[in-house]
Amino acid sequence: MQVTLDKQYPIAAPLDAAWSVLTDIRELATCMPGAQITEQVSDNEYKGAVKVKVGPATAQFTGDIEVLGIDADARTLRMIGKGADKSGSTASMELTATLVAAEDGSTTLQGKADVIVNGKFAQFGGRMLNSVSDVLLAQFAANYSNKAQALAPAPDTEIGETGMQADTSAGEAAAQAQQASAARRAAPPPPPKELNAFGLIWAVIRNFFVGLFGRRQG
Amino acid sequence: MNAPLKEREQALMGIGESRLRKEDARFIQGKGNYVDDVKMPGMLHMDIVRSPLAHARIKRINKEAALAMPGVHAVLTADDLKPLKLHWMPTLAGDVQAVLADEKVVFQMQEVAIVIADDRYIAADAVEAVEVEYEELPVVINPFDALKPDAPVIREDLAGKTEGAHGARTHHNHIFTWEAGDKSSADAAFANAPVTVKQDMFYPRVHPCPLETCGCVASFDPVRGELTTYITSQAPHVVRTVVSMLSGIPESKVRIISPDIGGGFGNKVGVYPGYVCAIVASIVLGRPVKWVEDRIENLSSTAFARDYHMSGELAATPDGKITGLRVEVVADHGAFDACADPTKFPAGMFHIVSGSYDIPAAHCSVKGVYTNKAPGGVAYRCSFRVTEAVYLIERMVDVLAQKLGIDKAEIRARNFIRKDQFPYTSAFGFEYDSGDYHTALQKVLDAVDYKALRAEQAAKRADPNSPTLMGIGLVTFTEVVGAGPSKMCDILGVGMFDSCEIRVHPTGSAIARMGTITQGQGHQTTYAQIIATELGIPSEVIQVEEGDTSTAPYGLGTYGSRSTPVAGAAIALAARKIHAKARKIAAHLLEVAEGDLEWEVDRFKVRGDDSRFKTMKDISWAAYNQPPEGLEPGLEAVHYYDPPNFTYPFGIYLCVVDIDKATGETKIRRFYALDDCGTRINPMIIDGQIHGGLTEGFAVAMGQLLSFDEQGNIQGNSLMDYFVPTAVETPKWETDYTVTPSPHHPLGAKGVAESPHVGSIPTFTSAIVDALSHLGVTHVDMPHTAYRTWKELKRLGVAQ
Repeated sequence: MQVTLDKQYPIAAPLDAAWSVLTDIRELATCMPGAQITEQVSDNEYKGAVKVKVGPATAQFTGDIEVLGIDADARTLRMIGKGADKSGSTASMELTATLVAAEDGSTTLQGKADVIVNGKFAQFGGRMLNSVSDVLLAQFAANYSNKAQALAPAPDTEIGETGMQADTSAGEAAAQAQQASAARRAAPPPPPKELNAFGLIWAVIRNFFVGLFGRRQG
Repeated sequence: MNAPLKEREQALMGIGESRLRKEDARFIQGKGNYVDDVKMPGMLHMDIVRSPLAHARIKRINKEAALAMPGVHAVLTADDLKPLKLHWMPTLAGDVQAVLADEKVVFQMQEVAIVIADDRYIAADAVEAVEVEYEELPVVINPFDALKPDAPVIREDLAGKTEGAHGARTHHNHIFTWEAGDKSSADAAFANAPVTVKQDMFYPRVHPCPLETCGCVASFDPVRGELTTYITSQAPHVVRTVVSMLSGIPESKVRIISPDIGGGFGNKVGVYPGYVCAIVASIVLGRPVKWVEDRIENLSSTAFARDYHMSGELAATPDGKITGLRVEVVADHGAFDACADPTKFPAGMFHIVSGSYDIPAAHCSVKGVYTNKAPGGVAYRCSFRVTEAVYLIERMVDVLAQKLGIDKAEIRARNFIRKDQFPYTSAFGFEYDSGDYHTALQKVLDAVDYKALRAEQAAKRADPNSPTLMGIGLVTFTEVVGAGPSKMCDILGVGMFDSCEIRVHPTGSAIARMGTITQGQGHQTTYAQIIATELGIPSEVIQVEEGDTSTAPYGLGTYGSRSTPVAGAAIALAARKIHAKARKIAAHLLEVAEGDLEWEVDRFKVRGDDSRFKTMKDISWAAYNQPPEGLEPGLEAVHYYDPPNFTYPFGIYLCVVDIDKATGETKIRRFYALDDCGTRINPMIIDGQIHGGLTEGFAVAMGQLLSFDEQGNIQGNSLMDYFVPTAVETPKWETDYTVTPSPHHPLGAKGVAESPHVGSIPTFTSAIVDALSHLGVTHVDMPHTAYRTWKELKRLGVAQ
């Protein structure tokens, strides 16, 4: 199951703060609920884990992520991740993230990703992968925005609306609501917690997730 | 005792009576006995670890966590089966198949390991605990890609094997190329043809999805050395032979029992890895082991149907007389060639593709290809690829009619094999036994007022404000069923005969044991009716027993509409042996010569004297206490029937659809199905069979699809996605019939269960295309879901 994502999210922080979160892979990882970097293997290689709970079942995905390039001038990060759970279901993702300063002093995060999901979740969730990705990315962007905001120097100018305006097909009312409520939070972001999925829709997230912070295999 | 003849006849409830189904009493009360109802003392449960990937090397399997769970008895992988040489097994198609993945997996949901535990739940939990590490390999899903020179090698075990079970292999993913007909005469017909048409079409991969999934309970008795297995099999004797060959246990110590079966449709013909694993587990552990698939496993890993990429061509005269047919097929067989076809026919009876038409020159070629998908291919209410063949020829005739501007009913009438041409030998060598297509077609056209329908369609097309597009589908198919003559057909070398053993008891009741096995066909009802008519014993006191290999005579089972054509004949001929003996006894009792007797419904009477007779009941008693001198006591017979030919049922189906121009939603306004299956044994059961087959045909044509993404993930393998019609979606069916008996069958019967499936599917496509034909459309691939039809309408500029 392959999905190509091309999305933009407003980040309620200035470009420099947003950039420093983006290039701190450990911090970036925690923007995804349940994900964390467990080990840094080299300058640009990490090991990560994602813990997912679906009903009574808990699954642990582990993987490698490799930063392919950081272009500070273009404010662009490229990375590739690949991971698997114990049963062998896999996911991979190639991501290019670019930050663009917005006129009001905030930042826009542009993300392009090719995600490939294999196994159980690709069977059941295939047709929902796109819409679920919207929800997931919205959560990610909200957390990311909060982190960036916390890092930002005390604002001397008012930063514009922090509500999220995804460019893609709207209709994800739930996503927007979650996004908005998350973005409204002024406090620093909560620590990573496991992604508690309570339905099939969330099961799809799990895999997508692994793609974002997966590992690269041999 | 001298009740009127008619009354006596009706008391028998024999051939031609709509006798109520004997099976229904237990089924509608939940009193059936299916495999999952079998519970044995000390029984353990098996579950299967399956591959999440379509193509990958297995790097490591870690059983420890699973084995540490309380209640888990064993976790077995290919490495554990290796010493027994059971990690691979032969398929019915002459290939081999991994029982448990050996070093690599080649399709998603392939069996990788098994877990045996105290109950189903522990087994399922333990499956989750088995860790498998894979190295992903490139996946090939499309059979055309699979044949490219640099395509991934799916079957490393076949490296260097240039000769397969069906001839030369020309590529590492090539299984066979099979041809029928005469290529040079077909090419010659095309070279000189004033008119030719060509159409590519894809018959997608679907699955029969029987309500009961596959499963078994294997019980090996280590003391006696006997293996008993309850199994949802359409061919229990074949399973016994295979199990004996694989395990080395003498066939006499293997007992296979098919209990009640909740639908088969070809899905339950093959021998699946799960069965072998359960049997091995039972032998290893010395305890009964149950394995029952869940729905997702059934849809993902057991025998699918179709997946034929077909290209057809017709050559014709300007007035629509077909002079030549050429067909090329690329057949996607999945990762193992596990088609359940007669051994010599890797594409089954696909060469029935010349259909109901008198086509002088024809050729077809089918190329079987490996891909990273589940194995299978001939399932689904179809006599070995007849469904694909009928789809192709019926679509092609429509395409030709469209090109020439000839009505689709008219062009068919011009090309039909005429009644006086039977027996008719087709360009592919089939000898059609009997048929009367013109009469049947006319009957249908009159019944639906075809002219009025065409007029209505013309009016709708002329009206720009019409919210719907109207389409009329017409199919005039011929099936080939009743496999088959053992000079042509065998499975594992065993000829495809079938058998019946009848015992008439002293008090005049009887039991018949059969080599076939009912899965909803109503054998217990209809077989008894045949005996009732043949022997004059009321069907109510005739028991029919099937499915237990320790009691039933050897038979090849029930699939391909073969029960009535083959086993039905065996019953008639076994009954006639008894009848002949009964005549001797009657003559003895009445003290007349055999030649002075005549048979009348339920008795032998002295010719011309209604008062001197012996009923079958009298004769049965006498057979056990005063047989004539020199005649052995008892009244029983067994008959193995090897059919001289196939039978060729046919039908004329017409369908009217209205497609919503805005949404693509298709309403089946009318479906008229005329079937000719020769002699009709139980008209009510025939109607039921036809309703069921039409409904499954509707499902295939309008919604079913097993699709795969580029990575080989199977999409839609649960009932959330896979379309199984209920009463809500199913249209109303109108049925009709003609009777053209088979001249070579003892009863004149031909078989019917698959006709409605085979015939209806192209009828729906014909109707959909007909609705769009004025826009230049010649073909639309299935399934005709609203979304796909809407996309087509959008492409044509009809929908917004």
